Amino acid sequence: MIKLENTSFDCCIKCTVCTVYCPVARVTASYPGPKYSGPDAERMRIKTPFLADQSLAYCNNCKRCETVCPSGVRITDFIYQAKSARLRRKNRLRDFLLTRTDLMGKLATRVNGLANRVMQAAFARTLLSAFVGIAGRASFPKFDRGTFSKTLQRQANHQQTFPETVLYFHGCYVNYYDHALGNDVVFALNTLGVGAIAPPQKCCGVPLIAAGDLKKVRQNATYNLAELLKAAGEGGRKIIFSSSSCVLTVKHDYPGILDIDNAAIFHQLEFITAFLHKRFKQTGLPTMGPVNLTAAYHSPCHLERTGGAIHTVSVLKQIPGLRLILLHSECCGIAGTYGFKKEYRQIAADIGQVLFEQINTAAPDIVITDCETCKMQIQAHTDYPVMHPVSVLAMAIRAAT
Amino acid sequence: MCSEQTHDYDCIIIGGGISGLTCGIRCQSQGLSCAIISSGMSALHFSSGSIDLLGYLAGLDVVQQPFEILPEFIDRHPDHPYAKCGIDTTRTAFAFFQETLARQNLHLHTNTPNNHFHVTAFGTLKPTFFSQQSVFSQAIKSAFENHPAIIIANVRGFKDFHPQLAAANLRKNKLFAGCDISCAVIDLPEAHEPGVETIRNMRSIDIARIVDKQENLAIFAQRINATGHQADILALPACLGIDHYNRAILELSDQTGMTVYEVPSLPPSILGMRLDNALKARFAALGGVFIAGESVTSGRIQGNRVAYIHTRNQDEDLSARFYVLASGSFFSRGLASGFESIKEPVFDLEVLPGMENTEMASPAFFSPDSHAFMRAGVKTNARLNPFQKNGEPVTNLFCTGAVLADYNPVAEASGGGVAITTGYYAANNIDALVKSLIF
Repeated sequence: MIKLENTSFDCCIKCTVCTVYCPVARVTASYPGPKYSGPDAERMRIKTPFLADQSLAYCNNCKRCETVCPSGVRITDFIYQAKSARLRRKNRLRDFLLTRTDLMGKLATRVNGLANRVMQAAFARTLLSAFVGIAGRASFPKFDRGTFSKTLQRQANHQQTFPETVLYFHGCYVNYYDHALGNDVVFALNTLGVGAIAPPQKCCGVPLIAAGDLKKVRQNATYNLAELLKAAGEGGRKIIFSSSSCVLTVKHDYPGILDIDNAAIFHQLEFITAFLHKRFKQTGLPTMGPVNLTAAYHSPCHLERTGGAIHTVSVLKQIPGLRLILLHSECCGIAGTYGFKKEYRQIAADIGQVLFEQINTAAPDIVITDCETCKMQIQAHTDYPVMHPVSVLAMAIRAAT
Repeated sequence: MCSEQTHDYDCIIIGGGISGLTCGIRCQSQGLSCAIISSGMSALHFSSGSIDLLGYLAGLDVVQQPFEILPEFIDRHPDHPYAKCGIDTTRTAFAFFQETLARQNLHLHTNTPNNHFHVTAFGTLKPTFFSQQSVFSQAIKSAFENHPAIIIANVRGFKDFHPQLAAANLRKNKLFAGCDISCAVIDLPEAHEPGVETIRNMRSIDIARIVDKQENLAIFAQRINATGHQADILALPACLGIDHYNRAILELSDQTGMTVYEVPSLPPSILGMRLDNALKARFAALGGVFIAGESVTSGRIQGNRVAYIHTRNQDEDLSARFYVLASGSFFSRGLASGFESIKEPVFDLEVLPGMENTEMASPAFFSPDSHAFMRAGVKTNARLNPFQKNGEPVTNLFCTGAVLADYNPVAEASGGGVAITTGYYAANNIDALVKSLIF
């Protein structure tokens, strides 16, 4: 008996539009593209599982295929379910290092000075490259001292004094690497009269999905949903994300790829710029001063997938003194952990060329993007500083005083 | 220019196809702020890449001079979208569209004031008005007038084009009576990259990207010359570049000594995607916001105005002063067909024809009378405002393109023209209203 869970491949009309917009298929002939790897091969795989081949591993989970599909086929869901169920995982040590972000982060943020020195050291990079398969020339973000969640918990009493509070799913990046972004998010929310509480949380699981470890994602997902539900309580508090990939994973991949029901809190899950945009409309703009910057905006693939860039653009357009250039939406290549893997590093760099050229042509003061790994990739391949939209907003609010 | 703080944009356009993009470009160029919300990629990816104006009259009579015939055509079809927009608007819209694409270096050629034919992958001929330079140009026209020798060539391994099929049908056509038509196969540069395990699927886009690389053009030309065929016209499946097609077509013509012709092949349509890319680039350059990957699921009409729209992924309502419904026909899900009725799924607007006593399909699939459902769509007034089920018009909503009723894009060969003209006309109506509200 064949178990038919996702038969959206029946909606595929074989138009190949997905493969046209697949950034991986654009730069390498080794990947047959999402149409083949997704709906085409899935028909075969459900009856003949051994047909799953290694070319599946080339997918970088950018989900652009789903964004452009005229027929609503859940292409990436097929690819990741097949990858997890049917491909043997080859490099478990690397998967462990790249996907256990909570464990790595908790250890490294205690000794951040040492950890950062080790990660920048040439010998460590050579070892990582030779034995682990992590790209030797990848630029890793630097660990912050301590965790952001502790910092925010210390402010809990103050945050509770606001007339309204939201839950802040800061994710691993803010928690271990970029407390400044977390502070900007809290500052922007506070300025609008909204307190921020950090509920207990584990990694959303997006790097685990990329590694095909759906079992571990399931554990994290179950934990996160239970904690978020408990913290959100009866009041239906909003749950705010500053990472466009975390929100996509919790909101759409939990039910889509993992088949875990998140309906109880689905409508409370919101990306930060969507929340801000709505606030601005309801209660007006915060007092802001001019930032006097020309900025090129890059919309991350995972925000594109659900059309969320409309809110970021709306928020940015209301920042005084910000001259905004909207870049044509292209994948930067890094796709979370994909570009950190040795065998995909060149593919990731090739994919990003189109974007990097656009940025160089625009020659802005800064690049703005909502995603932390897009930021790393753009900083590694261009000379421009990259900021999160909320940090630009926070800059404008600070400029008012 | 969006002056009311509560609105996100002056205009939100639902649908990112040829009609929505034309409307958006016109709005932005008039100084309005505009967002397009698109659910996946548009029908341009399935199109010939030529723009039809009016190709056939009833009974498949080919139209020679569309603008000549339009006054009479409009008299006979007073509810047709062209009748609502008027001939002057149609003319201006076409000029605007041609100029818009020319700014992106995509040049549309006409046989003014006549239509011209483009060749299909089956080797049949379709009348159309605008074509890209590899489909119609003065060079192609004069080559054709001298009964040329024609090679129809495929790229080896490309499954979506069959030269013998096209050649067999063209040989039967009396317009091609004096032409010597032969077929050839050409090996693609990069077909056997050393050290790369190639599992490329050889779709049109794969070939187009290979042709886009300058270093491949000379090799490609050499391989064409090496087949030993020599002719006046070299017809290839339309995959001669997606970004640098002007260069590819020029250099291949130069190096082979033949006039290069592109035949639209199966989807994804390279000719259509060139239009799509150029329109989107122009819209973005004018400051428009294009949102892909999002669907508008419903809209709220209060009194006779749209108050806001709701989307699948955003848990909030977007609002604008004006809205354009350019959501396409059945395939694009702008219209939904059921056993009982045809519906417009976003606003539940009044749809024509009503199902009572109407045969929706002809028994013969390729009937010259086409099918009644092809004329189905949203009913509008002369300004393209649709009607609610209670008979009241919606005054801040405009409908354009394939979602409209009262025309048959296939039987008339008018789809592209109606999309452009109504998109342009709606933008002008919105612009006039915005300016009248301010002053």
